[in-house]
Amino acid sequence: MLIKLALRNVFRNRRRSAITLLVIVFGAVGLILFGGYKAITFRGLRESTIRDRLGHLQIYKRGFERAEAKKPLEYGLDDVAQLRRAIESDRRVRMTTAQITLMGLISNGDKSETFMATAVEPRRDRAMNAQRLVAGTNLPDAEPDAVIVGKGLAASMHARPGDYLTLMSTTTSGSLNAIDVRVAGIFTSGVKEYDDRAIKMPLAGAQQLLQTAKVERLLVLLNETDDTDAVRADLDRLFARKQWALEMKDWSQLATFYHQVVLLYNGIFGFIGMVVFGIVIFSVANTIVMAIFERTREIGTMMAIGTTRTSVWRLFLLEGLFIGIIGGVAGLLAGAGASGIINNAHFMLPPPPGYTQGYPLRVLMQPGILITAFLVAVITSTLSSILPALKASRLKIVDALGHI
Amino acid sequence: MHPQPLVRLTDVARTYPLGRVHVRALTGVSLEVSRGDFLALAGPSGSGKTTLLNLIGCIDKPDSGRIVIDGVDVTPVPLHRLAATRRDTLGFIFQTFNLIPVLTAYENVEYPLLLQHLPAAKRRDRVRYWLEQVGLSDQARQRPDQLSGGQRQRVAIARAMVGEPKLALADEPTANLDSVTAGKILDLVEELNDRTHCTFIFATHDPALMARARSRVRMHDGDIVTEPRLEARAS
Repeated sequence: MLIKLALRNVFRNRRRSAITLLVIVFGAVGLILFGGYKAITFRGLRESTIRDRLGHLQIYKRGFERAEAKKPLEYGLDDVAQLRRAIESDRRVRMTTAQITLMGLISNGDKSETFMATAVEPRRDRAMNAQRLVAGTNLPDAEPDAVIVGKGLAASMHARPGDYLTLMSTTTSGSLNAIDVRVAGIFTSGVKEYDDRAIKMPLAGAQQLLQTAKVERLLVLLNETDDTDAVRADLDRLFARKQWALEMKDWSQLATFYHQVVLLYNGIFGFIGMVVFGIVIFSVANTIVMAIFERTREIGTMMAIGTTRTSVWRLFLLEGLFIGIIGGVAGLLAGAGASGIINNAHFMLPPPPGYTQGYPLRVLMQPGILITAFLVAVITSTLSSILPALKASRLKIVDALGHI
Repeated sequence: MHPQPLVRLTDVARTYPLGRVHVRALTGVSLEVSRGDFLALAGPSGSGKTTLLNLIGCIDKPDSGRIVIDGVDVTPVPLHRLAATRRDTLGFIFQTFNLIPVLTAYENVEYPLLLQHLPAAKRRDRVRYWLEQVGLSDQARQRPDQLSGGQRQRVAIARAMVGEPKLALADEPTANLDSVTAGKILDLVEELNDRTHCTFIFATHDPALMARARSRVRMHDGDIVTEPRLEARAS
């Protein structure tokens, strides 16, 4: 009977209930849209961070992380061929690619700038799709002195595809060395600060500049990001068994920017959640308080004919619960509809700070987000009716019956 | 006749705060009500009729004195612990009917039985019986706002009687009804009193109702000025 009473009471003052439900629906839609946007942003950023830059795992010579190298590539890997064969025999591994990072000066004959170079295996690097060419071609497979230059650095050097520039850096023995390189292409990563300093060059060219046969690290790219921990554990066992002096990091340990974005978005999501929580609390509490005020005499009557305080408390708590459930379900439907509209509208967002390209606004519909939005609606609505319900159950019967 | 009175009040006093002053609603009332009685509490407004009904109905507590209902001293028991007494022993009929608006006539009558946790079949039989008794079988599915004043009061009477109380309390039960409807309601209540032997106590201004009471208590300024006495009921 309490359930029947509570349900009917929810629809008793339709206008007020509708306003309260609208508040809950808007709150739930807000949570679903922002949660979905957050989820798709995290996934996109994670995958682009892994596949464009970091790989799922990076393997170094043991000591690379702790030791301060006295010379470039002091802790470089000598022979990656054997290591690569062992790793690539695993079906979960999509590919491996060796890299060297180095810094130095770049000159066009008239002026010099500092550069940060990533030396890669051109064919394998193209599979990672790390950058977008804006002029010229990508790194050729067999041309050690070809480079592609970041858009900002190319502009600073007044370099165009086909031009020659000079790279100067410190060799592994500590002396200075310089090589002439041909600009094969100009690229953008989307991050202006990076494009102002970045160069990509073939591994062979970097080894020639640094006068070494070593590589700095071996990147491991997997087919599925979810396999990262399992593959890492297997590789740890493999290294131990083979007694290879290697150490390893996974993408999560390296993706500082990704974690900063996650932290920021989670903070914003938490704040929005609190705002929604507060609005729903006050809205539902107001509805219940108004209902109690209007139904004071009814409460008095119910208690006079034998309804216990607990039952009166439960009745109003149920009303809050039902408002939450109805609002939550309506919010899920509205949120799903709004997500569909947004995803089909192909809205473009402006470039984020530090980026040069905008990106499409998309919302990911995940069960976790929908469940969270529903639970927030139901729990806040129920919680907000606790105190008013308690107040109703504590009414003095005589006063309540005399209430006009 | 049962030797023990159904209601016994001994020197009961009740004072209400009203702004900065205290109003003495009852000033040491003592009263006994026999089982099966049909008692009218008469008196002008503010004489203490409703306060006395509230105290007998276990929805208010006296400042002093003692109240015994059906052999149980309810004076020291907090009101919220008297919910079962109100549910099982008492029936209430209000001046403004006080039906639950979102429930149908049937559901309003059924409500006390749900509080008593009566099985569904028994509930159904009992509700149908009482709706028939008050002549509202055809209006069972209608909500209070679809009923006339007289019909609402009939539903309220059925709700008060369906739990088979020993004592029914009515506060000005005919005050919101026209004279014809009020007369019919009085006929019904009187008939129920005769048939069920349920004790009725009602506060009233209505001379017609007072005339039909078997016993009358006249109140003035919070005290009883005429002791109840058994009288021949007016025909």
